[in-house]
Amino acid sequence: MTRTNKPLEDLTAQAARLRAHVVRMVARVRVGYLLQGLGAADLFAALYFDELNLDPADPAWPERDRFILSTAHNTALLYATFAERGLIAVEALETYTRDGSPLEVNASERMGPIVEATCGSLGQGLSVALGMALSLRRRGSEARVYVVLGDGELQEGQVWEAALSASSHGLDNLCLIIDRNYLQVEGHTDKVVVMDPIDAKFAAFGWNTTLIDGNDMGQIIEALDQARRVRGMPSAIVAQTRPGAGVPFLEGQMAHVAVISQEDANRALAHLEPAA
Amino acid sequence: MTRATNVEGMGGFKDIRYAEEALSARSYGAALLAAAQADPRIVCLGADLSQPTETAAFRDTLPDRFFMMGIQEANMIGAAGGMARSGDIPFCHSFCVFVTRRVYDQVAMQVAYPKLPVKIVGFIPGLATELGVSHQAIDDLSLMRSLPNMAVIEPSGPEQVGAAVAEALAYDGPVYLRLAISRGKGEDTTRLQPFKLAAAQLLREGVDVAILAIGGMVAEAMQAADRLAAQGVLATVANMASLKPLDAGLVRDLAGRHRLLVTVENHSVIGGLGSAVAEVLADAGAGVRLVRIGVRDEFAEGGTTAYLWDKYGLSAPRIAERVSAALRNG
Repeated sequence: MTRTNKPLEDLTAQAARLRAHVVRMVARVRVGYLLQGLGAADLFAALYFDELNLDPADPAWPERDRFILSTAHNTALLYATFAERGLIAVEALETYTRDGSPLEVNASERMGPIVEATCGSLGQGLSVALGMALSLRRRGSEARVYVVLGDGELQEGQVWEAALSASSHGLDNLCLIIDRNYLQVEGHTDKVVVMDPIDAKFAAFGWNTTLIDGNDMGQIIEALDQARRVRGMPSAIVAQTRPGAGVPFLEGQMAHVAVISQEDANRALAHLEPAA
Repeated sequence: MTRATNVEGMGGFKDIRYAEEALSARSYGAALLAAAQADPRIVCLGADLSQPTETAAFRDTLPDRFFMMGIQEANMIGAAGGMARSGDIPFCHSFCVFVTRRVYDQVAMQVAYPKLPVKIVGFIPGLATELGVSHQAIDDLSLMRSLPNMAVIEPSGPEQVGAAVAEALAYDGPVYLRLAISRGKGEDTTRLQPFKLAAAQLLREGVDVAILAIGGMVAEAMQAADRLAAQGVLATVANMASLKPLDAGLVRDLAGRHRLLVTVENHSVIGGLGSAVAEVLADAGAGVRLVRIGVRDEFAEGGTTAYLWDKYGLSAPRIAERVSAALRNG
């Protein structure tokens, strides 16, 4: 239930295990988000296996740190993380996106309290997170609130309402991680809406802001540590992630929806599970 | 796997603690403050409109539980969802248009779907203001009624607002409370009206026509009934303050013993009370005639309440004329 301060190599190895699940899940059902899952795996490994204060035996523990995935469709990765962290059974991953399964493409609270809010309608997660942060603070809780937003999601106006509001309320128990992969449905984000410099924008909105390589475990851990120490303002970590990271022949591909053949999945797994 | 809302610390509540003072308050602001003083889970969220949403007293009396969110209605609703999931009971305030139409998706996903105890409180219902069409909520009842889990309440006035607040609190889920700014203040001596979800109040018993009214239209309907009585027409009048859940039993009962039903609402005739009553009648196979009085699928304009209600057919004289004509042509 406490932060682990695991060696970086352990967290990197954990991220590889998450990636292997993502490849198997998406290859099996040919639905879901492969490249984005691979890209954000290091962030999820750092959050769920080092940073977040939670108890798998008691997922609704009132003092738990909250985690919200506002880009709720990156669920091959999210559910893989849940399974590896002991929050759901590993076998449940086989039902991913199947009819009747609560493991939908967009994570919903059908999963129970491990999904803290039903997002997927983009732009809403940061507001919910700041509401949780306000409420936890007013009752004197030490719990922190973490929220992951996609970069395309920053095009939603509500995000900037919440950005103003969080700094205005001085919510230092709120940590935003922006998964900056330059990828949205229409293609490269710059072809849709130019958003750089994102870190300078959040800094201008009154946030403690860090720009990191989101596939460098050392930088991720350091940024989370720094965010936890800051007082009087919320923190935003702009994490530049590479779609397909960890699988050389997928890395850098820019497709919002990518399916993968079983043959390619096996090639990918050979990279991710060298011992197997 | 269980729904998150049933888990402690994830929103939802079972025990209701409200003050007697709330029940007898004759303004929304006084009712909310009394309720909050009895229940520390209640928090108040505002969008820059403390005075016109009657929350200035809450702000000044319980500042630690008052959250000024600024002119950011979408963010306010999302934050309220997060607060409710953390154990609070948030009351969110703005004008009716801005807490419904403007934030519909936020309400649907962060409040209604998870069935959180977020109470959404709107002021300036329907045609009421010189501010004009931007501030006229003619579709809010329709919008909020279509959301699963959402209860929709429009009390008739100061005499019913305290009971409506208490009942909104007692409902373990989201509520849209549609209010007019209290006018009578302390000197109001109207007899307090009870309020229960799914229960309409019969205010007057007649035989010729049943008028089902909601909100400020209840008083107009009562005056219209006086005018009709002078012409020998005996009208039943019901206060339909609980729009959702609707008192379907009473609607069927009135349909069985009147040859004409009339709904009156300060709202479009599409999607609000008139539609809700029509749905009950159609489901029951009732053959009774129904006249729906309200805004007739058009945008209005700015003006005084009296001017607008007369022009758009919502004033007592216009209601009485419409009922008389319908009876003549029936």
